Amino acid sequence: MNSRFSLPPAVTRLLACLAGGVFLATMVGPQQGSKDDFWLGLRQSLLDVRIIWFLLIGVLLYLAITYRSVVSRYAQRPGIRPLLAGLLVLLAAYFFMKWYDPLDDGKFSTLADAVGSTSGLSALTKAYFGWVWWVALVLVAVLTFVAIALRQRLLGWVAAGISVLAGVLVLVAHGDAVSFAGGTDHSFGADVAFIGHLVLALAGVLAATSREEVAAPREFVERVMAYRPGLPLVALGLVLGLLALLTATWFLPTGDNRTLVDTADLFGDSDLSGFSTAYLGWLAYVLFAVTLVVAAAAVWLRQRLLGFAAAALAVLAIIATLVALHGISSTAADAGYGGVGGPWQGLGSGGWVTCIALFSLGAGGWVAATSRGRRTVGGHAASGAQRTAGGATAAGAERSTAGGRLHAAASSTTVRSLFLLGVGLALFYPPTATGFWQQALVTDIGVYVLLAVGLNVVIGWAGLLDLGFIAFYAIGSYTTGYLTGSLPVKPPSWLLLSPLWAIPFAIAICLLAGVMLGAPTLRLRGDYLAIVTLGFGEIIRLIAVNNPGNFTNGPRGVEKAVPHPVVDLGFIRFQWGSNPLQYWYLLLILLGLVVLLFYRLEGSRLGRAWAAVREDEVAAQATGVNTTRVKLLAFAIGASTSGLAGVFFGSQIGYFNPQNFVLNNSILIVAYVVFGGMGSLTGAIAGAAFLTWLPNFLRDQVPAEDRTMWIGAVLILMMVFRPQGLIPARRRKAELTGLAGHDTSTNQELHAVPAREGV
Amino acid sequence: MNYLVLGLTRGSMYALIALGYTLVYGVLQLINFAHSEVFMSGAFGSFLVVHALVGDGGDTSGVKAVLVVLAGLTSGAVTGAVVAYFLERVAYRPLRRRGAPKLAFLISAIGASFLLSQLFGKLFNRLGNNQFPTYFDVNKQLFTLFGAKVTLLQVIIVVAALALMVFLDRLVSGTKLGRSIRATAEDAPTAALMGVDIDRTISRTFVIGGALAGAAGFLFGTAFVFSNTMGFIPGIKAFAAAVLGGIGNIRGAMIGGLLLGVAENLIPTAPWTGEAWIGNQWTDVVAFVILIAILVFRPTGLLGERLGRAA
Repeated sequence: MNSRFSLPPAVTRLLACLAGGVFLATMVGPQQGSKDDFWLGLRQSLLDVRIIWFLLIGVLLYLAITYRSVVSRYAQRPGIRPLLAGLLVLLAAYFFMKWYDPLDDGKFSTLADAVGSTSGLSALTKAYFGWVWWVALVLVAVLTFVAIALRQRLLGWVAAGISVLAGVLVLVAHGDAVSFAGGTDHSFGADVAFIGHLVLALAGVLAATSREEVAAPREFVERVMAYRPGLPLVALGLVLGLLALLTATWFLPTGDNRTLVDTADLFGDSDLSGFSTAYLGWLAYVLFAVTLVVAAAAVWLRQRLLGFAAAALAVLAIIATLVALHGISSTAADAGYGGVGGPWQGLGSGGWVTCIALFSLGAGGWVAATSRGRRTVGGHAASGAQRTAGGATAAGAERSTAGGRLHAAASSTTVRSLFLLGVGLALFYPPTATGFWQQALVTDIGVYVLLAVGLNVVIGWAGLLDLGFIAFYAIGSYTTGYLTGSLPVKPPSWLLLSPLWAIPFAIAICLLAGVMLGAPTLRLRGDYLAIVTLGFGEIIRLIAVNNPGNFTNGPRGVEKAVPHPVVDLGFIRFQWGSNPLQYWYLLLILLGLVVLLFYRLEGSRLGRAWAAVREDEVAAQATGVNTTRVKLLAFAIGASTSGLAGVFFGSQIGYFNPQNFVLNNSILIVAYVVFGGMGSLTGAIAGAAFLTWLPNFLRDQVPAEDRTMWIGAVLILMMVFRPQGLIPARRRKAELTGLAGHDTSTNQELHAVPAREGV
Repeated sequence: MNYLVLGLTRGSMYALIALGYTLVYGVLQLINFAHSEVFMSGAFGSFLVVHALVGDGGDTSGVKAVLVVLAGLTSGAVTGAVVAYFLERVAYRPLRRRGAPKLAFLISAIGASFLLSQLFGKLFNRLGNNQFPTYFDVNKQLFTLFGAKVTLLQVIIVVAALALMVFLDRLVSGTKLGRSIRATAEDAPTAALMGVDIDRTISRTFVIGGALAGAAGFLFGTAFVFSNTMGFIPGIKAFAAAVLGGIGNIRGAMIGGLLLGVAENLIPTAPWTGEAWIGNQWTDVVAFVILIAILVFRPTGLLGERLGRAA
């Protein structure tokens, strides 16, 4: 673009939006170019009727941007945002997601056709897939919109009710169709549609209850969370518990889904232990009811003692549930039910969902017991928030406006509720997942979460850009391989160890490697350090490939499988096997330890020294921080975490080779940390979990080869619209908003210069 | 000597790519990780044009071959420039407006790199062995230099690369645009106060770097095979070369690129005997060790870093 030749901004914007639409057209769809005909891919994506849709998207985008100021007034009405979000979710669910795996396409329309042409399904299911779904969708959307636009409260309630009904119908109809057809199915379409309907219902409720002219979603959440701390958790527990006890499958030998009542009947005259029989018969309901009542009372009356009692009861009830589940499955295995080979097999989701529900109730009680006093507008400075923020109290104290304090106070309850819910899900959700997801949880998601937590120390806290982090992971893995005798070169017999005993060695060696790499290179500035660490990572990988002294067995990877770990305490012996779930719980323990350690570290003297070095190395040095030592420590601690992950990975996967340690993975871990929010522990965990979950999720939604492309798009969008990451660290957030606040008052031109950051 | 010639050809391509890294680093203090995909897109863009011109190939002689090479270079450069321009507009400028932290740029660049590389794979193909049609005798031996055979293709690559580098050097040191680039690199806020349009300068810097990388993509594709993932390794090498020469320093990038190309071809063989002394597979290890060693002793690269001062 030349300066003498410039278009009016509106035209430029329109062109840009249309170009965006065209670009989207090239990305979406199954087309694939071929070597013989280079234009094939472009032709298929652009010279087709569907391009009109994408151009339309471009035009809509243009209209949305141009008339933003006009539209935004309406978008501020309470309920509008949930309405739009719910509609988007539903559209995505109905038109893009998979609903049933065994079908070729698996989309909703395919399934609907199949249902229509199948006889023997219930009338309700047929009607749902035939016309109910779109009638319900349109009806709810129109009703909610009218309710919001005309402020009709009654209509809002009606719309919410219909929406909830439609959501339940989705699950019922889909469950009916799938159980009729059989076959393994791990599609998400119906679940996402259910969530979409719930969001729509929320829109209706908001329209019905809100007295404000303008919606303030954040304040709304704060009000809800601060009304009775722990109440949302208890409500969730109630809903989940009812679902689990009344409708969910508890026991499923081959081709037979049994709810709690059915299961009790089935085991009525078998030699099931007395406790389990009692549990199936009445204890389950009683335990749930008692916990529910105590938790609800604790939350409602804000009784600290009752809260702790609820938490204790919940723990007892969960233990009882687990014992009963174990009893059921082992009895079933002894009795030779089909598909039940041993304890913990053949169980449906019911028992586990009950555990989640009980955990949620207990967590609600716990939150009620531990949140101090009434938190209202302009209340006391956020003691809870300060605890959560660890060392970032200074940043927290700076936010001195009443609104800021309120937010900090309320969010501490919110954060703790979410955290506890996350723990509950992490503990009890995986057993209900499909085998594919269990495997993905451990090998793809869990290990990389651990790695991201480690790299967060180096990048987020100490501000050192490390592009060779995977090298330490490799060192940890190969150390394990050596110590367990899986490499061609065997250790002396007294050093032959079980993988768990390799942990201290791997950590020690990675510490050493970190110091050895760090000592000569840490005086390099940001980008030079990046290339040096990158080089180091490549050197380690190439050494593994090139196999000097036949140590690493070259590109083929380890010679024989690394054995599974064993815990042998004399009286109790546990051997890990090929079941990913066992590793999941081991990983949870390791991750919990590491996170706890780092959480304490962040606020410690060392953590503050890291922050000082990151912000301004010269100033830190001047105030007496030994910068070299501090940076080396960050490097070494990060490296040892990576080594720990390496041990875990090596023993879980059994066979590994240098392909697992390519440069791309190092870069990806950096992306996880920054995506989640630099310097924030929860951010690193969330970022890594989301970005490793995404490709597994996309597996069913887009052509497999396109997954990386979509992840790239997600990365760009995230950085453009939320450069601070998913869950930014408090200290960083304060910096960023502070800087931006100052910047807007200065010359516009200066925005061309990136704000100076420590890295 | 053969290896020296090989090294020079490879090195001159690295240098062309490294210039893009170094220019962008100079004005933005930011590693443009998506630069390798700009290079890749240059190869694809020029392939489409060359393929349209000569079809499936066959020997063409003299003037026509020269014209096709020029067309390939130009189309590669144009593709690279266009891709780089949009890259800056979409993945960098919005972040700059928001005053995002520096690592956010890096992640955005990585995202752009994934996106571009896979999108080209989706649109064209994901095979690893696309080849340009042969329209001249690439292996024709022109002359021998101290006993080393020099082929026509090598001459074309080195001459084209040198011409582009000289052109860039003139551009940066002689023209008004070059002055504004140097001013921005030196001190962006001050340059803005002196009337330099920072956004436009940055945009043009991307375009220039992209054009060079695109041309390099054409040369690389002609000499070897090309694919949608071709950018990664040369990208890393060129980045290393830019750092080696002192990132942000134009002449440093040229020297660094040539040096890296020569080094990685000379390392596997002992120059004095011409026989292998360590395996080929150790080349990269040695190259990276040398790079680290140089950085340890000269922490800002061989020629130091400022774009403004050096050019």
